[in-house]
Amino acid sequence: MKKTYLTLAMSALLVLTGAGPAHAQKKGGDVVIGMTAAPPSLDPHATSAQVARNVNLHIFETLYARDEGARPVPDLAEGVTISTDGLTYLFKLRTGVKFHNGKDMTSADVVASLERYRKSGASASLIGAIDSVSASGPNQVTIKLKTVQSTFLGNLSSPRAPIAIMPSEEAAKDMGKASSIGTGPYKFVEYKPDSHIKITRFDGYKPNPAYKERDGFAGAKIAYIDNVTFRFMPETSARDAAVETGQIQLNETTDGPTAKRLRGNANFQVIPVLPFAAMILKFNMAQGAGTDLNFRRAVAQALDLEEIMAVAYPDIYRIDTSWVYGGSAYHSARKTPKQDLAAAKATLAKSGYKGEKLTFIVHNDRPTVDTATVIQQQVSQIGVNLEVKVADWPTTSNLGLKSDTGWNLWTHGFGIEPYEGPASAMAHWVKGQGQRKADPVIDGLFDKFNSEMNVDVQKKLFVDFENQMNDQAIAVNMGNYGLFQVATSKLKNFKAYRIPRMWGVWLD
Amino acid sequence: MTQRASFLRRLLSNRSFTIGASLVGLVLLLALLAGVIAPFDPLKGNFRARMMAPSLQHWMGTDQFGRDILSRVLHGARISLQIGFMVAIITALAGVLIGASSGYFRRLDGPLMRLMDAFMAFPSIILAIAVSSVLGASVINVIFALAIAATPHTARIVRASVMVVREMEFVEAARALGAGHARILFRHIMANAMAPLMVRITYVFAVAILNEAVLSFIGVGPPPPAPTFGAIIANGRDFIVAAPWITVAPGLAILVSVLGLNLLGDGLRDVLDPRMSVNTR
Amino acid sequence: MGRFIIRRLLASIPVLFLVSLITFGLLWLVPGDPASIFLDASATAEALDRVRHELGLDRPFLVRMGEWYIRLLQGDLGTSLLLNRSVTEAILERLPITLSLTAMAFVVSVLLGVTAGVMAAVRHGRAADQSLMSLALLGLSIPEFWLGLVLVWLVAVLVPIFPAGDYVAFAKDPLQWARHLALPTFTLACIQMGFVARMTRSSMLEVLSQDFVRTARAKGLPEPYVVLRHGLVNAMVPIVTVMGIMVGALLGGAVVTEQVFSIPGLGRLIIGAVLSRDFPVIQGGLLFLALIYLSVNLAVDILYAVIDPRVRLG
Repeated sequence: MKKTYLTLAMSALLVLTGAGPAHAQKKGGDVVIGMTAAPPSLDPHATSAQVARNVNLHIFETLYARDEGARPVPDLAEGVTISTDGLTYLFKLRTGVKFHNGKDMTSADVVASLERYRKSGASASLIGAIDSVSASGPNQVTIKLKTVQSTFLGNLSSPRAPIAIMPSEEAAKDMGKASSIGTGPYKFVEYKPDSHIKITRFDGYKPNPAYKERDGFAGAKIAYIDNVTFRFMPETSARDAAVETGQIQLNETTDGPTAKRLRGNANFQVIPVLPFAAMILKFNMAQGAGTDLNFRRAVAQALDLEEIMAVAYPDIYRIDTSWVYGGSAYHSARKTPKQDLAAAKATLAKSGYKGEKLTFIVHNDRPTVDTATVIQQQVSQIGVNLEVKVADWPTTSNLGLKSDTGWNLWTHGFGIEPYEGPASAMAHWVKGQGQRKADPVIDGLFDKFNSEMNVDVQKKLFVDFENQMNDQAIAVNMGNYGLFQVATSKLKNFKAYRIPRMWGVWLD
Repeated sequence: MTQRASFLRRLLSNRSFTIGASLVGLVLLLALLAGVIAPFDPLKGNFRARMMAPSLQHWMGTDQFGRDILSRVLHGARISLQIGFMVAIITALAGVLIGASSGYFRRLDGPLMRLMDAFMAFPSIILAIAVSSVLGASVINVIFALAIAATPHTARIVRASVMVVREMEFVEAARALGAGHARILFRHIMANAMAPLMVRITYVFAVAILNEAVLSFIGVGPPPPAPTFGAIIANGRDFIVAAPWITVAPGLAILVSVLGLNLLGDGLRDVLDPRMSVNTR
Repeated sequence: MGRFIIRRLLASIPVLFLVSLITFGLLWLVPGDPASIFLDASATAEALDRVRHELGLDRPFLVRMGEWYIRLLQGDLGTSLLLNRSVTEAILERLPITLSLTAMAFVVSVLLGVTAGVMAAVRHGRAADQSLMSLALLGLSIPEFWLGLVLVWLVAVLVPIFPAGDYVAFAKDPLQWARHLALPTFTLACIQMGFVARMTRSSMLEVLSQDFVRTARAKGLPEPYVVLRHGLVNAMVPIVTVMGIMVGALLGGAVVTEQVFSIPGLGRLIIGAVLSRDFPVIQGGLLFLALIYLSVNLAVDILYAVIDPRVRLG
């Protein structure tokens, strides 16, 4: 009798505390995601657009990928052996990996994919240090570098325009013409431009046995959902309404005030994603007022970062002026600059700026335009006269990336670089790319960083870089911002990351 | 009673005209006095007062910068009305130039009208967007873009009137008396085209206000911080669910202005030429 | 009759040619190109140039223009730079969607507008007339996209009756198709309704004051019969003439409505192409729009010529 009562009580306890089968993952169901735009291409090598990554990284995989902490770990490779001189990388590939067309992945496919990327990939410069790539066995690939590069594995695993592994027949096709055949947990079904992209679970997928759970872009990618549809809905109000009415199960991007409404609602989960990017103010240092150090310093001193970020990204910002995100081993807590109008005016007086009208370019994205509006207002208080020129992204980026004239200031988000690590964060300012005029100190630090294998020395080099950016006011890092994602409560185990990962999640 | 006095009398006794004129007059007055009556600076944000619903302090609420919407709408009236007015004037001038030349000089008619047809084959808003993208976003460029979109239809109207009068006897008589082309055109023919032109121009004014809003909505309108009606709506559209007042107020302002102008145009048409067809956008 | 049609068709060709020239002129002047859509802000100038080269955009403008015309004569509108399909495919995929929206809005605005106009004309000068015409004028004065935004807020979020956007094909689910198109149709039709109502009213008033109507009444025919059979039928003539302009206005309005409600139609295709500089789509799309517009006008002219023989001979 006593024993029965005990068993009963124990079972009751178990049921009440939910200590039974904990992960009751349910296979099946369809998820529709509302996304802001359509990918410019479904060829993963051809584009570094965020929206392309969202889709392509479900279909394709890479040799090495970034884990939850943004560290490069093996994905399609089992591991790597690096020669003592640091110039030869021997990758051992996983066996039994199938492409969506049933073909087995071999070293020939890997070599073909890498060569294609080297020749015409969107971020080909990432692997510019490669001297040769060869298949040294059916499951082995040897890469020889021209010089030692401490960041090579990081570059190889960059999710920006991922060095996706595709069948060699596809890799032989011209850029933009490769079919969507990868090794990922989902396979491509259809693409209706201006409407949606549909992918479906690839039942021939074998999660990486070296991992038990998902881990960033790597890990064990177990797909429970049947079909995922990415709907292109550029109008924010349409996305917001669609998730509330159940038309879509995940709104990939929404803002603070809208998300706040649904906070207490049991039918929805509001997921803040912070940090997602950093807001940067760049100067054109080749011509005009931007050439003057005192002018740049004055502008930096006149900014109230709290006000800027609170207006542009309400409830989803953090003032952090380090050039990598918190959580990175290279992150250091830097002093938050406070607005100092008096000092700014004094610094401006030392400069050659005479009150002339300067051109401030931005693209027509609401938070970016709002950022520019607040900055314009703030610096007008010290006598700097900015004219905000709003245009679409093609016009703005064309001007800012290729022209020394026609702009003085430019503000936009810097998303993937701080995530990837110090080398990526620095690369943008090397050879004067971002600021239109080379800074030899930064160029020197970058080269040293790439050839330095010792992490502690690397950290110090990075701090030197951050100090140089600050002292010379080359650009102002105004803080981290993020976005809110809203999903139905039925979507279980969803954790926000750089893309809305649809593996390791299920509907219940 | 003189012709002019009787015309004015008929105008003022026309209900459409008086209501329309009052509305437009009201908006105009508010716009002109915006600097004086606006309770806050439309460009200055108040960090502590962001995204507040309408209250006694802020009758129309505030936006994400903490700017007072009422003040922005009042100042916005000024800019939006300026844009509308300039578009109307430029369209009138261009329309008269093209339409009169086309209607009077037969040899110019064919090519000019083909050109006008080509422009009219684009939905006017797409034309405006394209021109605005090319010229860059600024108040002046928006005015040009909207004027380019509105001119072809206006030119056609002027041309039609000119062609009607061109064949009339008194024109032949004038020419027999030795009058030059220019004199005939301006003194005799244009007088006839004035009526439909004036009515058309009030509608152009109204449509310009509407289209400026659309351009701002698409993202090719006047740049910040200009508080045009369209810019205020575009600014708040991300927050329509959380802060609907940002979008509602300027929309109502557009409604009132355009309604007034439409009523004005109706009144003018009733008095000047009741047989004229009702215009469309 | 046949000669009339042929004459009009031939007259359209120079117009279409001019349209394509104007488009090229705009594209020549507009800064930027689609290469930057492929890359994010961290792109280098070299990367931009490489993508530009892959897309074939670094060739001289006149060469690209010449190629386009040659291909056009073969019936090929080229391939989209961003959508991974031919321009013709892209347009044809979206045409039915925009057409359903425009057609629905047309039907709704004609039905409601004509009804309102007739009612107002019959009760000329009284309260019903005043209120109906005031409503019509109100409809004419509302900014379309604002109405769309407000409707999204009111009817999709506050009181979720209709979905806020998107499109479901009729073939897939007729009920959902109707539900999804309800709000956009109403938004689009709102303005045209007012216009049709006013037109109908003034036209009806003119016809109803004519002698033959008085005769019909004197003959003792029932009033509804007089109004509809004699009045409305004759009043429709000016409305038909204006239908061409209406379609043009509806197409233009559809462009904006599609944006607000995220409907994947022609309008969104073209605006998206303009903003991302997908040149082949801009050229092909605008030419196509012009074609539609000219065809509708031609159809209306033919209709008018059938109704009124004086036009044919003029």
